[in-house]
Amino acid sequence: MAAPLLSLVDVEVRRGMSVVLTGFNLEVASKDVVVLHGKNGAGKSTVIESCARLLPLEKGSVHHHGSLVVDSEGRRALAKQPFGLTLQSNGLLGDETIENHLSTVCSLSGMKTDILPILDAYGLAHRSSDRIGQLSGGQARKVAVIAGLLPAMLSPQPRLILLDEPDSGLDENALAALISDIGQLREAGHAFVIASHHPEMMKCATRLHDLESETNQEQPKCQPWKAVGTQENVSLLSSRTGHRYLRSTRAGFARNGIAALLVLGTLLAFIDPITLEKSMLVGFILAAPFAAGLAGDPVVHLMREHRAVDWWRAHVNRLPAADFFAPILGFFLSALGSVLFLDSFNWKLSLIGAGVLWVTLLCVRFIELSTLRLARPNAVFVRLLLPILILPWALVVEYSGTL
Amino acid sequence: MRRRVPELCLGIGFVGIMSTLFLGLNWAPSVSINAFESPAAQRIFYWHVPSAWAAFIAFGVLFTGSALWFFKRSPLGWRLHVAGAEAGLACGLMTVWSGCVWGAAEWGTPWDWTDVRLNTFGLLTLLALFLVLGRQSQPDGVETRDTFSTFGLYGFVLVPLTYVATRIWQIRHPGPVIAAGDDGGSLQSSMTLVLLIGALSFTIFIIGHMMISMRITHLEQRLEQAQKSLDGGN
Repeated sequence: MAAPLLSLVDVEVRRGMSVVLTGFNLEVASKDVVVLHGKNGAGKSTVIESCARLLPLEKGSVHHHGSLVVDSEGRRALAKQPFGLTLQSNGLLGDETIENHLSTVCSLSGMKTDILPILDAYGLAHRSSDRIGQLSGGQARKVAVIAGLLPAMLSPQPRLILLDEPDSGLDENALAALISDIGQLREAGHAFVIASHHPEMMKCATRLHDLESETNQEQPKCQPWKAVGTQENVSLLSSRTGHRYLRSTRAGFARNGIAALLVLGTLLAFIDPITLEKSMLVGFILAAPFAAGLAGDPVVHLMREHRAVDWWRAHVNRLPAADFFAPILGFFLSALGSVLFLDSFNWKLSLIGAGVLWVTLLCVRFIELSTLRLARPNAVFVRLLLPILILPWALVVEYSGTL
Repeated sequence: MRRRVPELCLGIGFVGIMSTLFLGLNWAPSVSINAFESPAAQRIFYWHVPSAWAAFIAFGVLFTGSALWFFKRSPLGWRLHVAGAEAGLACGLMTVWSGCVWGAAEWGTPWDWTDVRLNTFGLLTLLALFLVLGRQSQPDGVETRDTFSTFGLYGFVLVPLTYVATRIWQIRHPGPVIAAGDDGGSLQSSMTLVLLIGALSFTIFIIGHMMISMRITHLEQRLEQAQKSLDGGN
């Protein structure tokens, strides 16, 4: 007998100071459509987010296709099979185009497809090249819902799909398309866990669950969905996505580049390089990449939008990162600094600058990611901890001065 | 009587700290003018060292509280974490401020970014500031407590590092003068006596401070629970 696509065993989850779920058990098999309903605060979103391993468990464990993905002992593992996820907040980046975002979702499943017919069903084909930030709230929701359904649409193998309030903001046509897709995908063997109050969504359930008890519903037979994906070898997805984010937004230049140039400009405005010792000049040259690193990882900054970082955390172990951005910018800034302060290009200092920016950015990224679980991560004073980097930087400057 | 223990500690500690200041400034002998650039400024040492000692006690409480919350989900652990962070911040700022005053007089600069002891201790104080401000910026909940407890646990790595810093990499900060480990240190007995009075007073004061802080946190939690009951939550 095949393992259930999803099982939650004796799950207890706290949010804030309240225990939202306790002793919660759920098994979802192929062809199940479980609709979670109940009053606000009952724990519907908590179930979805726990299934997507976004919340730590106080007790119990969550399994996908029989394999553990998260438990109360702190063990976390990627789901062995791709799964679909639509969060209550869309988890989309405003600067991504619809096409790019959905292609990334396909790549996460190791597949590719022509997404235009799918977009057409939701009235979005003509906007496939538009940035998500240019869409209305309802249109962006459609993109998030399609992204959630895609792993099942692509694959002939049963996939788990988690949808949190997928109906919110959808017009009648889009809702009808969604319900039709859910029915067809269910017939094809995929399974759904959906949090919703919408009567139409509740009608398409095979199991209605109010988080305490459940009732079964019969669903009429319909034409099963024909998988539309073809296999694709995907490598370095996190790195490629991170670089694409930076290319499309220029956030790396806007945040880190400008911070560094401002530091260089300020130093040049007040100091005459001719009057200074070499060690001091080296400090000034390496101040620019250091300042750029302290400005933080631009990709993390972008992903904070609409909980995109949570959407990614559910799917991958390594969040998108523009790995080459930091060393390249650090090299360029140090080269510029050495020309400005030493009147010549110094490749050793440029390489050290590349390393300074790379390491600084990694440390800031680590600290920033450590606070993402907070209710208000932007309100926390993370930068108070950054002086920890000054001592190593000063030692690097001291060493570089001897070269 | 037991309910008055924190206030009693604060009172005794305060009197002791004032006595230390008086003795340090007026009674303790002056240091050699050959050994120090600024012998008069050295008297701030009687404030600096005891406050650093108290800061380490507070950071120890912060670590214990963080561990108790993180591994045992103990509400007492969270109260210890909050109290340790607040007391660590207060004592850390006193230590850093007095050190800067002494450094400016003795070294000609209040801070040296390449000195390991100065930087690790400064970071501990910043960590305490981060925890105090961060807690105030977030709603109370397991997410907040888990995150800040993690920082409390990681941050404690700096405590032994700060302790051994002047033994391994003495750059600018003076090495140990009391528990030096060889000839029992370089202080006269009257200096040691004032320092011990200071350390004891700061210890009593900081314990009182932390007990009151824990009491306030407990009251805040009860208030929040009462508000939730009024809201109809659990």
